[in-house]
Amino acid sequence: MEIVFAGFGGQGVLTSGLIVAEMAIHAGKNVTWMPAYGPSMRGGKAYSVVKFTDGVIGGPDCDEPDVVVAMNGPSLEFAQKLKDGGLLIVNTDAVDEKVDMGGRVKVVEVPCTTLAQGVNNIKAANIVTIGTVIKETGMFDIEDAKTVLKEYFESHGKGKFAAANEAALMAGYDL
Amino acid sequence: MAVTKSVPKLLQNPHSLCPGCGHGIVFRLLAEVLEEEGYDQKTILTLGVGCCCNMNPPAWGGDAIQTAHGRAGATATGVKVGRPDLLSISYQGDGDAYVIGLAETLNAAYRNEPITAITILNNNFAMTGGQMSWTTMPGQVTVTSPNGRDCDVTGLPIKVPEIVASFENVNYVARGTTINAQEINKLKKYIQTAVRNQIEGKGYSLVEVVSPCPTNWRKGVKDSTDWMKEEVIPYYPLGELKNNNK
Amino acid sequence: MKELWKGNHAIAEAALRAGCKFYAGYPITPQTEVGEYLSGRMPELGRTFIQAENEMSACYMLQGASSTGMRCMTSSSGPGFALKQEAIGYLCSNWLPALFVNVIRWGPGLGSLDSAQSDYFQATRGGSNGDYRLVVLAPASIQETIDLIYESYEIAEKYRNPVEILSEAALGQMMEAVEFPEFKEGPKQEELDWVWNGVGDRHKFNHGTPLYADKPRRVREKIALMEANEQRWENYLVEDADYVIVAYGIPSRTSREAIDKLRAKGVKIGMVRPISLWPFPWKAFDEVKSDVKAFMSVETTDAGQLVEDVALAAKKSGRGAAPVYGLFTGQNFARPSEIVEFVERVMNGEEKEVF
Repeated sequence: MEIVFAGFGGQGVLTSGLIVAEMAIHAGKNVTWMPAYGPSMRGGKAYSVVKFTDGVIGGPDCDEPDVVVAMNGPSLEFAQKLKDGGLLIVNTDAVDEKVDMGGRVKVVEVPCTTLAQGVNNIKAANIVTIGTVIKETGMFDIEDAKTVLKEYFESHGKGKFAAANEAALMAGYDL
Repeated sequence: MAVTKSVPKLLQNPHSLCPGCGHGIVFRLLAEVLEEEGYDQKTILTLGVGCCCNMNPPAWGGDAIQTAHGRAGATATGVKVGRPDLLSISYQGDGDAYVIGLAETLNAAYRNEPITAITILNNNFAMTGGQMSWTTMPGQVTVTSPNGRDCDVTGLPIKVPEIVASFENVNYVARGTTINAQEINKLKKYIQTAVRNQIEGKGYSLVEVVSPCPTNWRKGVKDSTDWMKEEVIPYYPLGELKNNNK
Repeated sequence: MKELWKGNHAIAEAALRAGCKFYAGYPITPQTEVGEYLSGRMPELGRTFIQAENEMSACYMLQGASSTGMRCMTSSSGPGFALKQEAIGYLCSNWLPALFVNVIRWGPGLGSLDSAQSDYFQATRGGSNGDYRLVVLAPASIQETIDLIYESYEIAEKYRNPVEILSEAALGQMMEAVEFPEFKEGPKQEELDWVWNGVGDRHKFNHGTPLYADKPRRVREKIALMEANEQRWENYLVEDADYVIVAYGIPSRTSREAIDKLRAKGVKIGMVRPISLWPFPWKAFDEVKSDVKAFMSVETTDAGQLVEDVALAAKKSGRGAAPVYGLFTGQNFARPSEIVEFVERVMNGEEKEVF
């Protein structure tokens, strides 16, 4: 499984990748997480790539993703790399254009920021997308995902946001 | 009571320094101080590159590391990290410590490393045959300032101890000379204070020694001494520039 | 349970577990996290971290500490690692063990922050003066980075020679799930029979000492011993392979993906993955079919560096008749699809051999 989370710096695309990586470890998979780093981190174009499998993982960077989460317009360039039958999640709060992939991949439109706002957690648009990816792919058990999400924030000293983040996850899951 | 002075155990072997050179006197003083303090077998000397290379073992009977040109401040820092129980002393000439190694010298002092630095100032790069140093005096003829040093284009003679003394937490900075017996006795006190500072864990100390180089100055010993008195020492004033113990 | 660790942080923690007591270094992307991590962690463990004024100085601090027998390390990248070359020569000259880590960024000069392997020659051929070798180990994963670092001091101390870990930007920045070994201690400093100890009776290769004149022979013997003992590699599907890729680090991972794709199409292809870059694992080539049709070096360089060792290894193992090709991908490591296309071009006679 290869997932790309892409967006502007500050949209939390590195963190969403990290959380999914932790979920994959929890599921007993081999995992890589690769950030875009250096100048690109500051240039407004950020992404992270998560790969996980039972076998050996090859290159860590984006190659032929199964899933692309596009948090903004420029991120749609990753959609061209999607495998046939892959999944493209578009944050309609930041992408105005109508995305037409010609039926090659499944496109799911998610108003990520609106949904995050709906659970009083406006910063958690990135967490919303994780919920949607899990729902669409069935890659993890949602209860396990909740556990890992909680542990992730607790281990980063942000345990008090655990409930709010779970709500964001479920907002994306229960579209 | 008669005082018998014997050659320190650290200096039993011959060296190849030139006649009239100040290095030999400074090594003698350092050896005496280390022996008197009981540290002659508990010191690692870091030798720079220049005439001080002549004092690599076996000339120096104790432990010595040969480091790269300019880097003794850094190597001596590492020695002290590795063996804080031993004395770490860097020994360099001015070309080594103040020109190519200005960064390492100032940064070791700046960090207030708990080491002792001894530098020999003889106004030229002696080992390579007498080129201009940052300490070469205005108008002084060297093989790379054949018309006399032009300070308008090469800078004025550098005073590193004065810079180091400006670092507030540095403990001890002194400048001595080997010019006569009286000054040699004072110099020994400076070296002793610097060594004791390290033993007591008081941070960085620097002792600079204004020293003759008759070979490269193309002067006899007396002329060398006279020139030092007339030109060098007035520019490089002797004494303790800083002593935080007082 | 395995934990997710960033490559650069893993380098730092692995060195501590291997017994590193002293780190000196100067920040440079993409390896800065090594020093950042150690600046907090080392005081916690009662060890010493110094942010040096420059990379040269950091290495001479290592010279001082290593002379006393202390396990120490430095790390850098790009022009920062270039600055360490002079001191590497001094450490080799004095037979001092130490750990160097180069997280390679692309290009000479300032270069860029892209992941590359363009310091292969610097590491394996040497950038300092004189005749010396470093044991150069190149991990392909973060776990392997940890495992190699964990062994590195024993290798360095066995031969009294620095060891260099050659990582690359992507491997430093990415994260993988890893496990760390237990903390271990090096030998007691004062018990080593070669250290500078304040007395001066132990180190035997200094200027003026009787053994100094014998140094060339000793260096030659040491290099031969390291070459005999320290070759490391992993071969993948080479036994029946008509085509053999040679790649290390990240490109070895994408090559493996490419090999799986090509095997699925019926192409008999395998890979020699050098883990030690010096000594280069000549022995790995003995497992390759003697009538192999071609070797292919897949490397993140502009003009090819590893490819020269591939050709030498082919010759040395009696497979010198096989042509050697190179896929040199500049500042981007080769993608599996690129490698597949390259191999197909080689098979169709559309590529020109390098050797």
